[in-house]
Amino acid sequence: MKASSDKVYDVVVVGSGAGGGTLSAHLASQGADVLVLEGGPKVNTRTDFNTHGMPYEFPLRQIPTMKPGKPGFDGERSRGLGGKTQLWNAVALRFSERDFKGRVHDGAGEDWPFGYAEMKPYYDQIERQVGVCGNLDHLEDLPDGIFLPPVPLKCTDKAIQDGARTIGINVIHVRKATLSRPMNARPACHFCGNCMSGCDVVAKYNSYDVHMIPALQTGRLTLQQNSIVYELAISDEARVNEVRYFDRETRAQGAAKGRVVVVACACAQSVALLLMSKSSRFPDGLGNSSGELGKNFIPHITGGFEAFLTDFIGKPGTNDEGFLDHAYIPSFMHERKRDYARSFGIQFNYQNRRSVGWARSMKGMGKSYKDSIKARYPAYITLTGYHEMIPNPESYIDLNYEQLDEYGLPRARRHWRLGESDRKLFDDMRTHCRAILEASKAEILSAEYAPSTNHEVGGCRMGVDPKTSVVNEFCRSHDIPNLYVVDASVFPSSSEKNPTLTIMALAARTADHISDRLKKGEV
Amino acid sequence: MSSKKSSDQSGSSTYSSDRRSLLKIFGAIGATCAYPFQSEELYGQTAPPEHHHDPAPPQSEAPRFFNQADFALISRIADLIIPDTDAPGAIGAGVPAYIDMVIARNLAQQAIVADGLRWIDAEAIRIGEKKFLELGEEQQIAILEPLCAASEIRSGAPWGRNVQFFAIMKSLTADGYYTSRIGLVEELGYKGNTALASFEGCVPEH
Repeated sequence: MKASSDKVYDVVVVGSGAGGGTLSAHLASQGADVLVLEGGPKVNTRTDFNTHGMPYEFPLRQIPTMKPGKPGFDGERSRGLGGKTQLWNAVALRFSERDFKGRVHDGAGEDWPFGYAEMKPYYDQIERQVGVCGNLDHLEDLPDGIFLPPVPLKCTDKAIQDGARTIGINVIHVRKATLSRPMNARPACHFCGNCMSGCDVVAKYNSYDVHMIPALQTGRLTLQQNSIVYELAISDEARVNEVRYFDRETRAQGAAKGRVVVVACACAQSVALLLMSKSSRFPDGLGNSSGELGKNFIPHITGGFEAFLTDFIGKPGTNDEGFLDHAYIPSFMHERKRDYARSFGIQFNYQNRRSVGWARSMKGMGKSYKDSIKARYPAYITLTGYHEMIPNPESYIDLNYEQLDEYGLPRARRHWRLGESDRKLFDDMRTHCRAILEASKAEILSAEYAPSTNHEVGGCRMGVDPKTSVVNEFCRSHDIPNLYVVDASVFPSSSEKNPTLTIMALAARTADHISDRLKKGEV
Repeated sequence: MSSKKSSDQSGSSTYSSDRRSLLKIFGAIGATCAYPFQSEELYGQTAPPEHHHDPAPPQSEAPRFFNQADFALISRIADLIIPDTDAPGAIGAGVPAYIDMVIARNLAQQAIVADGLRWIDAEAIRIGEKKFLELGEEQQIAILEPLCAASEIRSGAPWGRNVQFFAIMKSLTADGYYTSRIGLVEELGYKGNTALASFEGCVPEH
């Protein structure tokens, strides 16, 4: 169904992932008339993913994300309904007061315009809606939430928990938006280990099935997929008056109108859409009077290890894929002496035992080689640290007009460089990861010595000062009164924690704010 | 594609860096993270997206890239890397056909492999006065083992072309074998991808 071009919706939302899906559902439930434009195709979570594929079923031994003939998730601008929540690992961590106020604590980076107390009710609300399993750990730096029971640790988790304890490091149950018992007609997880291949029973949260489908039943949410938004056009009064898109398949152009427009395309793509929306009034991108749009790009920096827990070498194999990682190492450096800003957290044991890519890295050939792989198979683990970075002028997102994508649009290009403090943090994170593995009697197979990025954050900073930020404390553009951005691009600081739960909580908060303004007739 | 890694701790990329995209690259074969020893330029694991929906090849398909003599040669090398034990080895698991298919798609590796195969026979004639396939197993292993050892040195001077050849053969053999039903289920005892009523966690063995 195409939106009527004459109709003016209360709110037009671009994107259907953690930000757009959550926000649109909240708005519709509060009475707003909402249109969601999603660039990707319609996806049926239950039938369209190759959730249970085995590598030998495919000639190249790679399991395609989608079943034959089912489009989606094949490029940044055509992901599909639910966005990255269809394929995420569902780690759901609350930011702590220190995460919102990092500058207060260590003098670097930028603070959020509000703290944990402001976000707590929204975290509560989201956890009740989506279902998060976890343990009450009473940690200052990782606030407890409203949890379903935690999932038991694997034997390999316990080996690392025991090892880490000897060097004073705490291993806790992971917190995931995956059901450990049935909830709202969703079944509990059955531990097939295919979480990141599309959860076909929706035990794992995705924004389409959990947030949007119930909202569609209100009749106030209209969903239009295959609509790739390429420009937000503004009126003489500097309000967004048209959301311009083209059809992913036919390339036919269209436009939608809303009293309010929300951009929620997942960090770099939101920044790209605003940068592409140039006008005589905003020649450097929409709402970019500050010149800050694209700047302050602060993705998580990661480095991983592959290792074998020696206590498990030669042991009989077990079915321990579970729902990938069952444990987590929360940040602990805030409590310790250090010569850098911010901190890191560690995810581990998230490998899928169908992936034996490490076999190439084992030494030798012949029977001894084959036997060494078999013996180490139950002992193989992965361990990866994630750390926050401090914004710097060399880390930003811009558009690459030399490399247009398949739709003829410029690609978002990420640039990043670690500052001095970040490099110390990376090195210290690596040192601690190695120490944890050694304390757990692990034999290290390989290690990434260069940082890489994950979890994109920043580029559209939230703040109270229009000179140094793009959106205000309600995620509204400082320049354009009916334009909002709701995804991790607005985070002034990233924390070391996975961003999705905070994106959802922020979307719920922004929905309340927009509903309130709509009811007061302010937009 | 992950953000590009480099030794000066910086990078730029036009592709999303979410973990899922890493998974997609390494697919069933790689680990869930991109590790330095499994780089795609070395092993040619990255399939362009348009190949993702290829139908499974018929079982009896003739080699696509290698002629019969070269196919026999790569089969023997794969067999020496992962031989039959209690479970079948590389040949029983159909690894040579997998290697053929990957090399057929990878222009950069074709020349290295073709040169490597010529070198193997030349070396066999030099030390044993016979072609590689006609040598005894001990002599065949004696030719390959120095390449295998050299391929385990990850720092210092770049690998010679013959070492690159061996590394390609070993990687493809390992990938093909441990993604096969024989390698993954029969040899390693993979038990996952099933529905459990509950996850019992770590129950002590008594």
